[in-house]
Amino acid sequence: MVRFENVGMRYGAGPEVLRDVTFVLEAGSFTFLTGLSGAGKTTLLRLIDMMQPPSRGLVTLFSRDLSVTKRSEFPALRRRIGVVFQDFRLLPHLSAFDNVALPLRLAGRRENEYEQDVEELLSWVGLGDRMRAKPATLSGGEQQRIAIARAVVARPDLLIADEPTGNVDAEIGQRLIRLFAELNRLGTTVLIATHDRALIEGMRAREMRLVDGRLVEMRTQRP
Amino acid sequence: MNLGRNANAILPREKGAAPLDIVIAIMAFLAALALGASLIAERTALGWRAGLSDRLTVQIVPPAQDAPGAGLDRETDAALAVLRATPGIAHAAPLSQDQTLALVQPWIGSDALVAELPLPRLIDATITPGAQVDLAALTHELKKAAPDSLVDDHARWISRLKALAEAITWSAYGILLLIAIATAATVAFATRAGLEAYHEIVALLHQMGAQSRFIARAFERHYFVSTLGASLVGAALAALFFASVGGLEFAGVEAVPFLPPLGLRLAEMPWLLLVPAVSGIIALATARISVLAALRQIY
Ligand SMILES: Nc1ncnc2c1ncn2[C@@H]1O[C@H](COP(=O)(O)OP(=O)(O)OP(=O)(O)O)[C@@H](O)[C@H]1O
Ligand SMILES: [Mg+2]
Repeated sequence: MVRFENVGMRYGAGPEVLRDVTFVLEAGSFTFLTGLSGAGKTTLLRLIDMMQPPSRGLVTLFSRDLSVTKRSEFPALRRRIGVVFQDFRLLPHLSAFDNVALPLRLAGRRENEYEQDVEELLSWVGLGDRMRAKPATLSGGEQQRIAIARAVVARPDLLIADEPTGNVDAEIGQRLIRLFAELNRLGTTVLIATHDRALIEGMRAREMRLVDGRLVEMRTQRP
Repeated sequence: MNLGRNANAILPREKGAAPLDIVIAIMAFLAALALGASLIAERTALGWRAGLSDRLTVQIVPPAQDAPGAGLDRETDAALAVLRATPGIAHAAPLSQDQTLALVQPWIGSDALVAELPLPRLIDATITPGAQVDLAALTHELKKAAPDSLVDDHARWISRLKALAEAITWSAYGILLLIAIATAATVAFATRAGLEAYHEIVALLHQMGAQSRFIARAFERHYFVSTLGASLVGAALAALFFASVGGLEFAGVEAVPFLPPLGLRLAEMPWLLLVPAVSGIIALATARISVLAALRQIY
């Protein structure tokens, strides 16, 4: 599903933030990405969700070598990825409902087809009564849950989440993780960057840790 | 990908007119004024030429020592005969005493005294359209038949008017061009400035896998509609201006004598629609080009 070979990344003329990163995410796997603040977690995720090209090395996504893939094919690849951004990136002028529905609209689905799905999902993340609210009127945790709902609503092949439980209490955190696990059970490959030890301990999942820009395998999937 | 109304829902619907919409409306108003003025100048210049260039006036001037009377009448008749015998002259007729008086009345009044003034006799002649009349020969013939005759083919008057009309027309076109450029620049600038504010949205939609075409179309439509609206308001105000000036003239309020009428005819009004149409297309093209260029910058 995702393959990195000797990937290096630097911003402009700065130091290398990622160095010789090599790993594989198997289809249907569930993985945590950990590391201290500033270790390069967001940077690594941005390479996977095609926000930026690597400075060196090879990134393969859905069996496609991105360095030789035509730009015109990128949108179709991007639509197969659901992303929860660390800073949410909700569209401020759209309601919670419309934000969540956006990936479905981009995929060409009609409102009467997806209306019920979107409403159910919003209820599931505990926002059933705030569907028409604009992001600015919602708390950080509520916005985060909308961002998560938006990332999963189109059942992506690959889900990338950057600190998805950073702004919610433990109970809602557990609920969100169950959502990811459920999606994973249905076939989505999941990669979550987090600081939240409790979250990691509660799951039988692989953990990759970034230390000084290098990747360290902490543990493989637990039995 | 499903476009249609989905594309519209992606951009915020603006409430009321943005400051840039007001600037666009004002520029469109000025552009429509300049366009209307060019149309009027062009039409007026054509009218002047058509009205004068095929005419000829022959004056029989009373000799200073003589009292007006029989001599003048005889010379007038002789001049008329010469004119009517000249090929290329379609029509020749003397102006009556009353008509002549009416001509001079604005300058010297209509006093009883005027009736005793030695007025020249005037003959108005029309040249067959397209015919070439040898003026030198005609003048010579007329001098022989009527020694006190003077031929005026308005040539000097016409050439001056022509020059004036051309100067006015070209100035109007020049101003129109300048304002058109300024309007185009304003529209392009407004569109680009608006897009800056939406950079986040563009980047997000791009990241979510929206096709560049789809994103560009949303913006195109957005700016086409808002620019069209703003410039329609400007052009409509200009049309209203021309209509009300025309209305004043129609109601008998004279424009300054000798200046062309300022009213735009109803049939000429649709030309003003060019202003919003062109503005809308510029906004559309600018939005498209800017969005696609911005998207190429992103990975
Ligand atoms: N756009 C950028 N331009 C220049 N440097 C950047 C940019 N983004 C990140 N960096 C640098 O790259 C390094 C890694 O940043 P990154 O955001 O990937 O860390 P992180 O592991 O996600 O941290 P956190 O846990 O705080 O989110 C940091 O030193 C940061 O300063
Ligand atoms: Mg980060």
